[in-house]
Amino acid sequence: MIWSWWIALILFAAPGLWALVAIVVDIGNPGQMLGADAGETLVRHFGEWGLRMLLVTLALSSLRRRAGFTQAIRLRRLAGLTAFTYLSLHGLSYLWFLAGFEWLQIREDLVERAYITVGFAAWLILSVLAVTSTRGWQRRLRQRWQTLHALIYLAIPLGILHLLWLTKAGYAEALVYALVYAILMIERLLARRSRQTAS
Amino acid sequence: MVVPWQGISLRKVLEKFEPNGNAKFVEFTTLKRPTEMVGQRASFSGIDWPYVEGLRMDEAMHPLSIMVTGLFGKPLPKQNGAPWRLMVPWKYGFKSGKSIVRIRFMAKPPRTTWSLLAPNEYGFYANVNPKVAHPRWSQASERRLPSSLLSPNRRPTMPFNGYANEVAGLYSGMDLRRFF
Repeated sequence: MIWSWWIALILFAAPGLWALVAIVVDIGNPGQMLGADAGETLVRHFGEWGLRMLLVTLALSSLRRRAGFTQAIRLRRLAGLTAFTYLSLHGLSYLWFLAGFEWLQIREDLVERAYITVGFAAWLILSVLAVTSTRGWQRRLRQRWQTLHALIYLAIPLGILHLLWLTKAGYAEALVYALVYAILMIERLLARRSRQTAS
Repeated sequence: MVVPWQGISLRKVLEKFEPNGNAKFVEFTTLKRPTEMVGQRASFSGIDWPYVEGLRMDEAMHPLSIMVTGLFGKPLPKQNGAPWRLMVPWKYGFKSGKSIVRIRFMAKPPRTTWSLLAPNEYGFYANVNPKVAHPRWSQASERRLPSSLLSPNRRPTMPFNGYANEVAGLYSGMDLRRFF
């Protein structure tokens, strides 16, 4: 693996390592690192970093195109899988710390809380992308792999919608994510257009 | 959370002003001081400061409605609504405005902040009711704090937050789905 992959691994893993430390500390000393509502803090933490890592995944392609950082593409799978890991931990934290694995309650949540429905849908999409992220699957699917992985452009807006729909007041956070996503998408569309006119 | 609020009966406060028969509702206005209250400076909050809440007269006069001045045996901290805040324990928390600076008797229902922000989500009465869901989420269960990481302490929500015996009578005959 290239050196930048290892640096990226450490950087991408940092929020996860923080969470691990915080959980261990909090179990011994409730309130010490995770605040009054530890479950909520963790769910938020993993959700935020999952969404951020999804945007990083997109940004890596932009970095390669605009900043000439050619190695960025090799980091993309790492970034995507990091995002999937954090979002899986996000879901697991909700199931464990907020819902206490009470499946009747969880089923009601899934049906009555629309923001959970779209969040779960986004996670399902990402799980398909995670499973097919290997070179083996790229070979197996060939051109269809590209089409399949375009589902990221559905997953991210669902994630932002999830955040928007759970917000009671204070829309700035969701707006920032939406803005960053919009900028990355514009960059992508412009790059596609100039590729078409060039060839 | 089951919080040990300390204070005085709201009835005692309001009686001092001898409201007449036209006073059907009470309006409470919260302090607006963005220089000190950072949250009031936020853009895109959706909230139109100052924060306003209100009660029907009989709700305000009920023994369970209090003006809180202390918490855990100490004077109320700023973040909990110093110097005094409302506490109406059978309603959702947003009804209990903090740092009250103005109380007004009104003939018509006051226009409250949350019901202006999202009228289909937040009503005037806002009684705790497991049977009436918020449009975006259910109210049927709650996590009672403190809850630790490994035992979330999730429990079914109680009608009127457990005060049904004391306050259900105020709403007899009212469709609480319509007057949410």
